[in-house]
Amino acid sequence: MSADPHTDTHGAAVDTHGHDSHGHDAHGNGCAPAGPKRPTTEELIARKAATRQEIEPGADLMTISIGPQHPSTHGVYRIVLDLDGEIIVDGRPEVGNLHRGIEKLCENRTYHQIVPLTDRLDYIASFAMNHGFCEAAEKLMGLEVPDRGRYIRTIAHELARLSNHILWLGIHVMDLGTQTFFCICFRDREYILDLWEMLCGARLTHSFARIGGVAKDLPDGFEYRCRKVMEFLPKRVAEYERIVKNNRIYYKRAKGVGVFTAEDCYAWRVTGPPLRSAGIARDLRKDEPYAAYGEVDFDVAVEYNADVYDRFLVRMKEIRESCKIILQCLDQMPDGDFISKDAGHVLPRKSEVMRQSGAMIQDFNQVFRGPQAPKGEVYRAIEVPKGEMGVYIRSEGGGKPARVRFTTPSFYHGQALPALAKGEMIADMVAIFASIDVVLGDCDR
Amino acid sequence: MGLKDVVKKAAFVDILRGMSVTGTYFVVDKVTVEYPKEKLQTYPRFRGIHALITDPDTQDAKCVACMLCPTICPSQCIHVVGEETPDGRSHAKEFDLDLARCIFCGLCEEVCPVAAIVMTRFYEGSTYDKRDFLLDKKALMANQVYAHKEVFVEKPEATGAAKEEGR
Ligand code: SF4
Ligand code: SF4
Repeated sequence: MSADPHTDTHGAAVDTHGHDSHGHDAHGNGCAPAGPKRPTTEELIARKAATRQEIEPGADLMTISIGPQHPSTHGVYRIVLDLDGEIIVDGRPEVGNLHRGIEKLCENRTYHQIVPLTDRLDYIASFAMNHGFCEAAEKLMGLEVPDRGRYIRTIAHELARLSNHILWLGIHVMDLGTQTFFCICFRDREYILDLWEMLCGARLTHSFARIGGVAKDLPDGFEYRCRKVMEFLPKRVAEYERIVKNNRIYYKRAKGVGVFTAEDCYAWRVTGPPLRSAGIARDLRKDEPYAAYGEVDFDVAVEYNADVYDRFLVRMKEIRESCKIILQCLDQMPDGDFISKDAGHVLPRKSEVMRQSGAMIQDFNQVFRGPQAPKGEVYRAIEVPKGEMGVYIRSEGGGKPARVRFTTPSFYHGQALPALAKGEMIADMVAIFASIDVVLGDCDR
Repeated sequence: MGLKDVVKKAAFVDILRGMSVTGTYFVVDKVTVEYPKEKLQTYPRFRGIHALITDPDTQDAKCVACMLCPTICPSQCIHVVGEETPDGRSHAKEFDLDLARCIFCGLCEEVCPVAAIVMTRFYEGSTYDKRDFLLDKKALMANQVYAHKEVFVEKPEATGAAKEEGR
């Protein structure tokens, strides 16, 4: 028995694809003996070649269309696959069925009005989208967010990440054949949604970020409830791992399937957990800290085998890290404003509007004219649960942007699917597709 | 494949380990709420269907037809026509809200300078007739029975200068 925790419980299962992980320590740092063995890039490429079947040139291909209405595509995504028997030879993704023209809608709305629209991008983690847009708009206007606002944003962003990953886990494992587990995940996600309802009043489309801060302060009792949830959630993750990680069926369906090396990820602009499962510790929360991420202590979850199983492990680690971040933020929560006092760019607080004429004028000004942004263009990228999300804003001055563009992770992940699935069995398509976590609202915008 | 693995496979050890979790839930308390029979209590910030609050002095809606909420609404679903009453008050003659277009973002509640339009705890708005989604002033004022308690008491503790700073 090796010391490797993967091979430890699944001695037999590792051999299913004819490549056990006898990699040597490629990176040569101290944690190698205790952690899982790290395969080198060459080994990963060799593994990829080993799992993927040979495609004979000139074979008789069958074309099938999966989607747009297919339960495993989690939305209206269509992929046309060329099959040689059961082997996927090529595929052509087709997106745009959920196109709502959000980028165009942004052009005749003020910055305040765009925030609720960004909810509808990735509706599983809508605060992350609000946050990305507000960060970009603040960069354009040169606004500073007060400390308390930054900490509340960090908590909210991590709550969004938690609910995203837990939902992902339930659906991913359900695609591979379990039913009960889906309900267990939904039950735990419900605790997070309750926190959201307490925090901002909505369970799915939060619209909680505002230009210059957040919409509301933490309510009474939130801290206590949040601490309770964050303390038991890691125990629940251990439970998930008892059910899924050590399950032979899941292991065989996920291990070694859909290998996508770091080079492939770079070539297809795949970011987030799929990139981190290929051994690249790229996380904008760490690399270019925004909100309060520079002031809390957390680790970037990294795995090295670049397959479906490791993407699952990365996300489980991220759930644990998120709980850690939220608890730290609650501990360090500073007093003060939750939204900036800049009268030129920020919606005033309700209690002030009802009492002070200055705030009332600010209210009218912000609603009718919008926050007055200078002329110019900005790009701001943040790490959302699914990967890297960028917002580009071009402003001609005034309260409305001239052009807004969102570069959302799901779009790039969706287009990489044929490259990921090429040479795999068609039955593995479902596992691979779920493992890259695509939400079609995010993809089609 | 070692002997240990053969035993493991034959005895379904992995499956049993997972099933032990499932089995636990047979005996612990249920978390499911049987929805139509029992209902969940909403939190005080819940953003349900809107209401217009009545001004106790005039028995009319508090709304002064300032046009802030129709302007901020991202889906442009509020329609207000203002007029002046004989006693010189500005009020809304018409106030229509199209729920079918509303995205429940809460911006209208946030910008209203007199706290006239609020979002309530009422969420069971399904209907057989889509004309029911068009709420007029009367329907919106009738909805105020569902309003959260805290909107009537506008946080007296927030008046102090020290509190003004923070939250
Ligand atoms: S909740 Fe939002 S969409 Fe609905 S009426 Fe108010 S501002 Fe408009
Ligand atoms: S409800 Fe409030 S914001 Fe809307 S028009 Fe009336 S007073 Fe103005």
